[in-house]
Amino acid sequence: MNDVVGRFKWVGTRPIRPDGVPKVTGRAMYGADLAMPGMLVGKILRSPHAHARIRSIDTSKAAALPGVKAVLTAKDFPEQKFEYVGPERVAVNFWHVTRNVMAREKALYEGHAVAAVAAIDAATAEEAIALIHVDYEVLPHVIDVDEAMQPDAPLVFEDMITRGVEPAPTKPSNISKRVEFKIGDMDAGWAEADVIIEKEFKTAPVHQAYIEPHATIARVDADGQGEIWASSQGHFVVRSLTAQICGMRVGDLRVTPAEIGGGFGGKTVVYLEPVATMLSKMTGRPVKVVMNRDEVFKATGPTSGGSMRVKMGVTKDGKITAAEGVFKLQAGAFPGSPVMNCCMCSFAPYDIANVHSVGYDVVCNRPKSAAYRAPGSPISAFGVESLIDMLAKKIGMDPAELRLKNAARIGTQTVYGPKHAHAGYVETLEAIINHPDYKKPLGPNQGRGVASGYWFNGGGESSATVQINADGTVLVATGSPDIGGSRASMALMAAETFGVDYSQVRAIVADTASVGYTHVTGGSRVTFATGMAVVNACKGGIEDLRRRAAMIWDVDPEGVVWEDGQAKPASSNVGDFKPMTLREIAAKAALTGGPLTYAASVNAGGMAPGFSTQFCDVEVDPETGKVTILRFVAAQDVGTAIHPSYVEGQIQGGVVQGIGWALNEEYIYDAKGRLDNAGFLDYRCPVASDLPMIEPILVEVPNPAHPYGAKGVGEVNICPPMAAIANAIDSAIHRRLTELPMSPPKVRAALDAGAAAD
Amino acid sequence: MTARVTFTAGFSRRYTGGRREFEIEAKNLRGVIKAMDQLFPGLGEHLEEETTVAIDGEIHEVGYFQPIPEGSEIFFIPKLEGG
Repeated sequence: MNDVVGRFKWVGTRPIRPDGVPKVTGRAMYGADLAMPGMLVGKILRSPHAHARIRSIDTSKAAALPGVKAVLTAKDFPEQKFEYVGPERVAVNFWHVTRNVMAREKALYEGHAVAAVAAIDAATAEEAIALIHVDYEVLPHVIDVDEAMQPDAPLVFEDMITRGVEPAPTKPSNISKRVEFKIGDMDAGWAEADVIIEKEFKTAPVHQAYIEPHATIARVDADGQGEIWASSQGHFVVRSLTAQICGMRVGDLRVTPAEIGGGFGGKTVVYLEPVATMLSKMTGRPVKVVMNRDEVFKATGPTSGGSMRVKMGVTKDGKITAAEGVFKLQAGAFPGSPVMNCCMCSFAPYDIANVHSVGYDVVCNRPKSAAYRAPGSPISAFGVESLIDMLAKKIGMDPAELRLKNAARIGTQTVYGPKHAHAGYVETLEAIINHPDYKKPLGPNQGRGVASGYWFNGGGESSATVQINADGTVLVATGSPDIGGSRASMALMAAETFGVDYSQVRAIVADTASVGYTHVTGGSRVTFATGMAVVNACKGGIEDLRRRAAMIWDVDPEGVVWEDGQAKPASSNVGDFKPMTLREIAAKAALTGGPLTYAASVNAGGMAPGFSTQFCDVEVDPETGKVTILRFVAAQDVGTAIHPSYVEGQIQGGVVQGIGWALNEEYIYDAKGRLDNAGFLDYRCPVASDLPMIEPILVEVPNPAHPYGAKGVGEVNICPPMAAIANAIDSAIHRRLTELPMSPPKVRAALDAGAAAD
Repeated sequence: MTARVTFTAGFSRRYTGGRREFEIEAKNLRGVIKAMDQLFPGLGEHLEEETTVAIDGEIHEVGYFQPIPEGSEIFFIPKLEGG
């Protein structure tokens, strides 16, 4: 439990980001920037079909091309056992994983890897790829989640039986899994309600749209020892997945993290690393593989598209009495959408006695979905938060006040079992209600919308090593790739704990051979869990530094205290000693036991969830249907903001991605299931000129389970924007849009139809 | 210490014959898992690998060392993972 929360010297300050200079000067080493002597270039042949049986692959002409050193197909990878391993929510089936890395019996989506080559240069590799002949039997495909669930839909897997249904179905389908959560008495809840609204909603699958495409270099030496350099959200996970897929031992692989140009969840899995590793095994030379943007869009995980039906009941005075949701999520070509999160988060911000959530994980002919910022939660939030707005308008209550009246508090029962143990939601609602612009009048065709969101936040396994150098500077090494400012926050927490100047501390991301196991940078876990490991390592260091000072002064260790970065006598009774700094103790390190190195590993628990409430003002152009965001205010419970500028950046980034999801981003397929907009010109992410300044409000309700009160901050901010914007559009033009993206043609169609369906 | 252990409906259907609540005597989470494994052989491994635990609402990764306060409510919920 917390023993330190209070006012801090370094925690909560805004020093210049340590990764800033290398990034703005172009010297940061991203995955594609690395090169090695003797390096080969790897290229991947990808399926042009959304769904096709692979009858045969003829690689003979490619292999015979001068300059080609290896040709790889799925047959070169060891087969994997068909079994789901690990936690149900994130169960991995390596039979699926290896087939996503390279297709075997069938190509399951356009862009699915089918073969790869390693050659002396890119031109030769491209030429060789073109010489590979694949004999395909093109099959009917299905992409839309509702269509994929139909009994006569083309089957992605001809033998897939739905899990989670008893008795088990006798016929195969594209429904991989059904999940269900329920509390209370639904009939009683509906009977208490004065108003009941039921509505269907759809969300588009969207890409994480990280700027940096996937890139890796692998080198496997003759002794079987391998190294990988890659940009990822978790190099320990890259190591374990690649080892399993390539039939290697974990200890035979060392993975060094490159600087990462965005991940947002999409870089927690592997695509290229096993391919480069196998090509290197085959050639004995380093192999580099880099995706282009087309490949990123066609072959890497977006988040799921969703289709849902939400029903809620409320009394006239604003008490929500019952809530029900059926959520159907696209998993892509292999099982594993975030549908369980979707169900668990759906009504979590609210105190509702009777709740029933059902979810379906559905495969279809798209790339396998990957995590994306609070995976699953934004999808259900779009439906639920839209419906709450409809309820508020129906009973004539302010939408934020309706939420406040039903807000989850400490002790509120969740649909997935435990009671909420942390506050934070009410505070975000109050921040929005009290914002000076919340009641500001709006003009014609303008509207205001409110929405909230919930995310669990993560804990788990992290490691840190702290070294005190001879000059008293401090090196903090962790295993967490820095995608949100973690080097700065780790350095701040180390400076705070040691009581030394921030400029004395340097934080780095260490490779898998240089620091203990650390789980991915994902789930909003790093500042909390890895931060805990850093603080624990520093605390262990302080104990040792006190012991060493005592040895130097020849007194009992209990007679030495640590204050302001110095060892001091606990009282005048101990003796008249001048305080010793880190540098002075480091100077006598050899005499007092050797180098000053401290390590800590944790399986961090006690994480507090994140709540966010946002409001936005929009203007709808009735001629074109274009929606312009006029104002966006985002309040989030962030615990203690360790580095407030980074926290604000996380909120602004999450909101902007949510705006893109709300208004523009979608995959456009042709009749054959091929992607028509695989590039940033046609896949329309918001850019700065589309947006007003996003105003973040940091609501700081410290988490007592963390030494400095930290909570995860990276994800919950993407949950509310889609519904907030839909609610604002409805306020502006009295049209309820229920399908994302709410692009100009859809807004125009709603206006034309005069469909105030609610 | 006596604690009330609860499973989700789906988990209980698969592993405990549909029974969702149990009264367990244990000092720490190791004791809870051991007791559940004695009631349903093999369940302990599933709890260790597949779940996150909430002790009086406070969510933790499953670790043997977690103390169990008297009268606490323990929920085993699906393991969480984010983006």
